Amino acid sequence: MVPVVGDKSSTGSSSAAAAAVYTDNPKERLKECCRKLVAFMCTQVGVGGLVVGYAVVGAFCFIQIEGQAGDAQQHAVEMLRHNCTADVWNVTATVNVLDEPRWRSQVKDALLRFEKKLALIVKKGYDGKTTEETWSFSAALMFSLSIFTMNGYGNVVPKTMLGKAATVVYAVFGIPLYVLYFRNMGKVLAQTFRWLYTWVYQCSMEDKVGGGDLYNQQLPQKSRVIVPSTACLWVLVAYVAAGTVTFVTLEDWSYMDCMFFCVTSLCKIGIENFGPVGTAKESGVIHPMNLIIKFVYLLLGMGIIAMCFDLMREDVQVRVRNLKMDIGLCFEDIRLRAVAVYRRRNSFD
Amino acid sequence: MERKRSSRRYYNKRKKTWTQQCKDYLRQFIAFLFSNIGIICLVVGYTIAGAFMFIFIEGTSGNAVAVSERVKANRTGTASRIWDLTCCNEYCEEQWRMEVQVHLKSFQSHVIEAVRNFSYEGEGKEMNRWSFSGSFLYSLSVITTIGYGNVTPRTLLGKLATILYAIVGMPLFLLYLSNIGDILAKSFKWIYAKCCLCRGCKKRRKRMLVIQRKEQWKMDMRDFKLNTGVLTEGEESDDEGTTDGSSSLSFNDMQEVTVPISLCLAIMVGYVSGGAVLFSKWEDWEFFDGSYFCFISLSTIGFGDFVPGGNMTDPGGTGSSSIKSVELGFILCSMYLMLGMALIAMCFNLMQQDVVMKIRTCTDILRRITRCKN
Repeated sequence: MVPVVGDKSSTGSSSAAAAAVYTDNPKERLKECCRKLVAFMCTQVGVGGLVVGYAVVGAFCFIQIEGQAGDAQQHAVEMLRHNCTADVWNVTATVNVLDEPRWRSQVKDALLRFEKKLALIVKKGYDGKTTEETWSFSAALMFSLSIFTMNGYGNVVPKTMLGKAATVVYAVFGIPLYVLYFRNMGKVLAQTFRWLYTWVYQCSMEDKVGGGDLYNQQLPQKSRVIVPSTACLWVLVAYVAAGTVTFVTLEDWSYMDCMFFCVTSLCKIGIENFGPVGTAKESGVIHPMNLIIKFVYLLLGMGIIAMCFDLMREDVQVRVRNLKMDIGLCFEDIRLRAVAVYRRRNSFD
Repeated sequence: MERKRSSRRYYNKRKKTWTQQCKDYLRQFIAFLFSNIGIICLVVGYTIAGAFMFIFIEGTSGNAVAVSERVKANRTGTASRIWDLTCCNEYCEEQWRMEVQVHLKSFQSHVIEAVRNFSYEGEGKEMNRWSFSGSFLYSLSVITTIGYGNVTPRTLLGKLATILYAIVGMPLFLLYLSNIGDILAKSFKWIYAKCCLCRGCKKRRKRMLVIQRKEQWKMDMRDFKLNTGVLTEGEESDDEGTTDGSSSLSFNDMQEVTVPISLCLAIMVGYVSGGAVLFSKWEDWEFFDGSYFCFISLSTIGFGDFVPGGNMTDPGGTGSSSIKSVELGFILCSMYLMLGMALIAMCFNLMQQDVVMKIRTCTDILRRITRCKN
């Protein structure tokens, strides 16, 4: 086993050694896979589980705090509606029923008054849902996620004083936890992706070269492959595209809305965007499964972004180092040339 | 001949140094401009450009008229439906009320949608969500990743522009944050060191003692590494440490001083509560709501349930003076946000330094303990 590994690291030229490497490779790969898996479980699942547990606990807390609070705005809107009905009734009672134009204009006035008052209430945050509808479990889960990922969608918002205080405390403890998750996930995903990239790269090289000898000769050079930034960007683009397609099938949004949602969420901007709301809201209930899928998508997406940062930083560092070296060589060359020219001039003089 | 050439060469050299000095000064100046003021100007300019771009894209679309037309049509439709109900149904008041309620509910949901998503503000009011200040705040909230969401782009072009704007703007803002945070941290540390040194003799003596002890440890460690087990030379080096300590105190202090975490936390809490007072005066919010807004904004969560400039819909303020005050409020808010984020970056920078320092001293202590046991 050991000499084979030594052969692998050095340039093994004999075909027998190459055959040995080929026979042993699957075993090694399997071992490596197992090791990677265990490491993954140890480092990642703990933190990931903690984050998910924190979100779930937060969701229950917010449901407890906010769900029981009576909604003053709801009552106000109901009162408005009753008043408007009474107005219309009065109009009907006072105006002669046969006088249709006058009746219509007065009813329109009543409706306009209703509308103006309603608009003021809506500006203050009323969204036409009862507290039970607003604080369903999935919505609360999404809310707690949006707090500690610093997304802050704002479609669900605490209204009581206690809820606001709880939000602040939740954020104070949740954000460091999330940052921990972000770092950890990024590192692990970057390792996995690098390993995968190296594997694919070697396979492609093998296909190109064809012969085993050449493959083995090239192997030591490619022992540490640095993932280029373009690959990271492609991964990001692919992730956004996948999210777009998923949400297009799940919701009734257009492609542009879905892309907007994905990009703004993954950038932690989190603009509340429910696109053409008419269809989603009038159908009433937002499917809870959609929100769960969004939850998973966001958590995973943050990890992928962290991974891309990790990989790109490495790539940029290597490039900067190379650039520095090149510039140094360039300057050295110029200096030598200048010295040579000067000497030649001196000798001419 | 030779002398001449040498003198010329000398002159050349001197000239070169002069020009080089000038160049150096210029380069330093440009670097300074680019690092501090330049980056601030860049961020502000980028935000203003974004504001104009979003006004151009979103503000001029015929959205406003269309929405108000749609609401008007819906109102007429509701009225005619109630008319149908009134003239055709039997005259039972209870049932009539129930059905009118149903119609009103559908009308209500329509109005809510119009207000929330198409920035409709009631009949006869112009929709100025994409005013200059509004779109300035929008572009700022995009590049700082706060994302209030009270103003959202509705057109396809606006969404695309937002995505591109964010992709370019966020690295710029991160650059701004790291740069300004670094500078603020340095200057704050310097001020803190000055204050600490001037506060009194007791503290200073303590500080000197700490520094001496540290240097002693360092010397000890060096000696320990050099000749293992011989402790007498370590004691000799103590005297050197004390003599060195007094001379290199001022130099060491700048690097050794770390701002404690509690002070950083106090600064953050103070900034948030200061903002709360400011906004509670400016926007007529409660103190608690103001601090909630400040916290949510500065942690870049940004729900958008409280947004400055929200009181422009109040029925009282329709004059030009209120518009002016709203604009001022927006400017104040954006300045508060930009400064606050830099301040938070500074605090994190300082806290990190403090934690690193504490860990280092802990490891030093641990090493010393293990050495003593040996």
